[in-house]
Amino acid sequence: MTGLLAFKIVYSSNPILYIAITILVFISFWIFFNIFDELLFFSPILYFYLPDDAIVGFVFTNIIALLLGIVVSMNIYLIKNLKLKIGKSLISGSFLGIVTSACASCSSIGFIIISTFGGAGMVATAFLTNYQIPLRVLSIGIMIYALYAINKKITGSCIVDKDDSNDKVKS
Amino acid sequence: MSLDIKGEYIQEMIITFRAMIFTQNSVINFSSFVFVFFFIFLVLNFIYTESNQHLVKNIVFAQTLDNLTLSALIKQGSPYYGNLSAPLVVVDFSDFQCHLCKRYVDNTEQQINSSYIQPDKAVYVFKHLPNRGFDSKNASLAAQCTNDQGKFWEFHKILYANQGPIDSGWVNTENLKKFVSQLPNINITEFNSCFDTKMYESFIDKDIALANSLGFTETPSFIIMSSDGSIIEKIQGPKPFPIFKTVIDTLEKQNTTKN
Repeated sequence: MTGLLAFKIVYSSNPILYIAITILVFISFWIFFNIFDELLFFSPILYFYLPDDAIVGFVFTNIIALLLGIVVSMNIYLIKNLKLKIGKSLISGSFLGIVTSACASCSSIGFIIISTFGGAGMVATAFLTNYQIPLRVLSIGIMIYALYAINKKITGSCIVDKDDSNDKVKS
Repeated sequence: MSLDIKGEYIQEMIITFRAMIFTQNSVINFSSFVFVFFFIFLVLNFIYTESNQHLVKNIVFAQTLDNLTLSALIKQGSPYYGNLSAPLVVVDFSDFQCHLCKRYVDNTEQQINSSYIQPDKAVYVFKHLPNRGFDSKNASLAAQCTNDQGKFWEFHKILYANQGPIDSGWVNTENLKKFVSQLPNINITEFNSCFDTKMYESFIDKDIALANSLGFTETPSFIIMSSDGSIIEKIQGPKPFPIFKTVIDTLEKQNTTKN
């Protein structure tokens, strides 16, 4: 219930702004993840396809992108309304999500890592490729933790709603 | 003394930076910083890919005719299938350990085969680009040895069907010999003498050098070209069939117009 309350506080304070941020972040990361997973193409034609081997990864990247959208917009609400620092879990969760997507494939990023770091880079990209799915699950776990931490901060704090001209205090 | 001043200056900068990021009224916050950073990264990656594509095309045109013709590729001993009198050539640079190469083989290659190779519109040529793991070259060496006995494409099929995690040992010497023994009518003694002496190491190194000179940074990568090498297009990544179709059809039209 407290989770829902936190959502209600954030998204009802300025629905257009926070929903727009969520959608924008979700779409941006959805495009980002699907380009690096070699599912979305812009040239020579715009094309999206989902082969069988990519379905599980695609589901996970969708969840990560959605969680990123929610967590980022809630963090923005927190920073706007409270003098609080951003949670480390957001950074680590989003970083892990991006790294597993960008480096786990036989993509140019993987090649750059290999060519830059040689044998160590090869080991790193092999690890990221082999453990892509568990790493994405871990990334989702971290994002859920980030969401939980933000919920706790929002519902457990005394927040001055700046959007309200009366400066009413929510507790 | 100067160090102290520098230290204070840096400390002050950090405080200002933190204030900029975390203060209540600041427009820029860390979330948007992270977001903007990765957006810029994405844009730069696009720019890099596009400029690289242009560069590759220039390199290809610079060294065309001599090196990149169908006859030269066949003379080098590269595995191929299709009618050699076909007007177009699809050159595939792949690594047997690359899971995106397997995705391409499972989804796109069959469609290219039925739409362009079987109707004698194109020839399919394989080039080795073992850059995914330490065992990749081992797999390439074995595959090239099977080509001596005309078993490359069967071995290619077996390797992708049995693909395991990178460097997990699935293409170690022992397993490769097991896979080879599954090939019907293969001369194991002949294969072993080729594989154990690393007979095709320099051949594979030349394939890697060619891929590097073309600026290929990922597997699978492809060249679609006319058989005389005068028209060349590049595709990087396990693109789906409609993308290959667009490129090949455009090239086919250009080639017809030229002739």
